[in-house]
Amino acid sequence: MKGLLLKDFYLIESVLWINLAIFTVVGIALAFFTSTWVLTVLATIMLGTVSVSTINMDKTSGWRKFSGVIPVAKKLVMDSKYALYLLLSGAGCLFGMLLGVVTSLLKNQLEYDTMLIFIGISIAIALISGSITIPCNFLFSEEKSIISVVISYPLAAAIFAGTLFLFENQQAACGAAALLGIMVFIISWRITRRLIAAKDIA
Amino acid sequence: MMRENALMVNGLTKKYQDFILEEVSFTVPNGAIVGLIGENGAGKSTTINAILGLINTDGGSIEILGKRDEEIDDSVRNHIGVVFDGSNFPDVLTAQKLNNVFKRIYSEWDENKFFSLLKKMSLPTGKRIKEFSKGMKMKLSIAVAFSHNSSLLILDEATSGLDPIVRDDILDMFLDFVQDESHSILVSSHITSDLEKVADYIVFIHNGKVVFNKTKDELRYKYGVIKCGAAQFDAIDPNDVIAYRKQDYEWEVLVADKTAAQKKYPKAVIDPATIDEIMLLYIKGEVK
Repeated sequence: MKGLLLKDFYLIESVLWINLAIFTVVGIALAFFTSTWVLTVLATIMLGTVSVSTINMDKTSGWRKFSGVIPVAKKLVMDSKYALYLLLSGAGCLFGMLLGVVTSLLKNQLEYDTMLIFIGISIAIALISGSITIPCNFLFSEEKSIISVVISYPLAAAIFAGTLFLFENQQAACGAAALLGIMVFIISWRITRRLIAAKDIA
Repeated sequence: MMRENALMVNGLTKKYQDFILEEVSFTVPNGAIVGLIGENGAGKSTTINAILGLINTDGGSIEILGKRDEEIDDSVRNHIGVVFDGSNFPDVLTAQKLNNVFKRIYSEWDENKFFSLLKKMSLPTGKRIKEFSKGMKMKLSIAVAFSHNSSLLILDEATSGLDPIVRDDILDMFLDFVQDESHSILVSSHITSDLEKVADYIVFIHNGKVVFNKTKDELRYKYGVIKCGAAQFDAIDPNDVIAYRKQDYEWEVLVADKTAAQKKYPKAVIDPATIDEIMLLYIKGEVK
């Protein structure tokens, strides 16, 4: 799996500067109009999306087909994408948190409650959307994959909003949404593992 | 006891809505190059994809390097070098980065061999693959296939779209590879002249079925094409005819034994049959 992850990091490296530029522009605008903690959500989602984009990069380059002939099980190829998603989303979340902490300390307004809520939002939205986009990008054509990306974020946001209605306490709602995200992500991984074994690559 | 064949395909079947690969059987003996020929859409790539486990099959069995069907695991895949038509590596990578990736994937990746092959082929190590020409990409794929101690090379249309010089270089590499008798190659191509240069056996697939599986020497030295007029054509014993077709001014008749045919029909002009001619007569002619 190390080789597959390294290949994906090389792919991500090639689009890193563009994404960093987008993050800076969008991040400053969002942080200015809302809260600096929104950077946590943005960084988590952006890096997660970049990791999903490597699945389509594999398809267009022909690596997807080649990955079927290397000494790595089909399931492991798929596992590596879920692992990459977790690694990058996690890195994004940490990076966003760090930015949030630094900015809050500079403003002398560090609020742990707000931080925890945004971490919960980040985890929930990233994992729920990843649970949809990773299998769709793996199993379906490029067009359907794009639709899945477009649908997954509003859907994840809707699920998150739903949990807010169920809980009076905001922190509890965010925690529940994050837990739901983790569960959905594990279910998605297990189901895709089964489907991928039966699917033709070529 | 040492196994005789690097690859055994037996009764391979794959059904699609509009195409059926039907009971395909052949072997790739150790130390041999087997050419898989056939027109576009005949089933060559489907056969190769099934052998490589890229598609699920509807019947038949595959044995690679002594391991059969479900037993074909990562230890076997480590020794199969595969080259598809075009590049299959992310084009933002360089050959150097590709080396870093593959040394973590193949248990017997030979870094020194890879870089010496790149040098021999004049391929840059620090240039992105997207800046490579088609020939360079193909050479890179072959360098990868040769650098992990492969015993069996499987190549699907690896020489198509390349100029004759690059093709000749690649064919020389194939011949070098099979100097070691534990090495074998299965190569599919519709450029039959390439296979005439290097293949030991020819497997001809047409409409998803194996039409014949013969040694190249048998095809080259025994098969012949009688070119004759209508009267002479009528005089030919139908039992001697494999396939025939009518051209504008003559008949072309494929026979399996040109020496015997020459004795039987002394006035006939019988040319040695090229693989191209054999293929054309089977596909476009009438088969007896």
